[in-house]
Amino acid sequence: MKQINLEEFFHKKKDDFSFSMLTNSSTLKDKNISHFLNRPGLALAGYFERFSHNRIQILGETEISYLQSLEAEVLFDRVKELFVYDIPCFIVAKGLSIPALVIDQANEYNIAILSSRLSTENLSYALRKYLDSLYAPTIAFHSTLVSVYGVGILITGSSGIGKSELALDLVERGHRLVTDDLVRIDLLNDVLIGRREKEIGYFMEIRGVGVIDVERMFGIQAVRAKKQIDIQVELIPWKENTHHGQVGNEGSFNMILEKKIQVIYLPVAPGKNVSMIFETIAMNHILKLYGYDAGSVYTQKLSDEIIRNSRINKELRK
Amino acid sequence: MIKRTVKIINSLGLHARPCTMLVKTSTRFRSDFKLRKDDITVNGKSIMGVMTLAAEMGSELELIVDGVDEESLLLEILELFQSKFGEE
Repeated sequence: MKQINLEEFFHKKKDDFSFSMLTNSSTLKDKNISHFLNRPGLALAGYFERFSHNRIQILGETEISYLQSLEAEVLFDRVKELFVYDIPCFIVAKGLSIPALVIDQANEYNIAILSSRLSTENLSYALRKYLDSLYAPTIAFHSTLVSVYGVGILITGSSGIGKSELALDLVERGHRLVTDDLVRIDLLNDVLIGRREKEIGYFMEIRGVGVIDVERMFGIQAVRAKKQIDIQVELIPWKENTHHGQVGNEGSFNMILEKKIQVIYLPVAPGKNVSMIFETIAMNHILKLYGYDAGSVYTQKLSDEIIRNSRINKELRK
Repeated sequence: MIKRTVKIINSLGLHARPCTMLVKTSTRFRSDFKLRKDDITVNGKSIMGVMTLAAEMGSELELIVDGVDEESLLLEILELFQSKFGEE
């Protein structure tokens, strides 16, 4: 599992979480932060059964006012009992002041205490969100991601089949490019989110032309930083004498990061207007989201017609 | 060119699934494949065409195959009809 260093976390997110250090900066060293948070209320009260010591400990108003209410000797003993655990760090919310004794002991036991100016609620939410994204299942592979009418389409297919050219054509028609050639995909809240691997502009390589800057060429409306992936379209070489069509719901699915995603195998041949087909795929996807599946509706109408025909025939035969 | 008349014997008629099977089978061959019902003739390799026939059980279709592999194509298509497309 991925490990994030506490020192790195502090320096990177100092401004986002309005962090400051209460203990010596040396207490940050050689520690990893955890995916989860804990409010150590019961531990402070002396109940250490099932104490999730390996999580980030959030100290809110309740915890702080409890600590302040304790007699100095009781506090001293309790804190000592607490600090023998291997704890990644404490974060005090709202910039509350914590008894000096606790900070002294933390320095002694080499345990980091950070202070944040955010309220407990905001801090927990922001931390959760950040940690979720940090520990999200992720993968990056050869593909192209575009947003067509707001539908995120992941384009896959072998090298040279025309993914970049297709993306360029779609951008030219007013759709948006997320990234070409390599897509970084995170699974966040059961949704696949695609983005660039490196945030250094929107460049793509067109064979025979070289590198182009899509943002410069088409403007800011032609690009998008990240996009939920709704469908995957795999471009495959066109073959004569093969049936590619499908009518009803018999879609294919693919697994990306253990998330099921619909995949369309689209045969492409030189001169075919693939961009238009992509727009059609996007619009059909939106219609399905709104509950209208043309394939099923057509199939149903056809079956009704067949039944009607047989009834008429029966009557005629009588 | 060979022409052959078949009768549809599966109870649901030519609904979506049998149509797909006809198209899938016929596209593997190079010969042309047409289906005629009454005064409508459709391309047997086009799913929408075949479905438009809305052919019910008991109706008769004329199969028209034309090309280098017409015989084997006709054989496979007839087999599909005889096997009731794997239905009842």
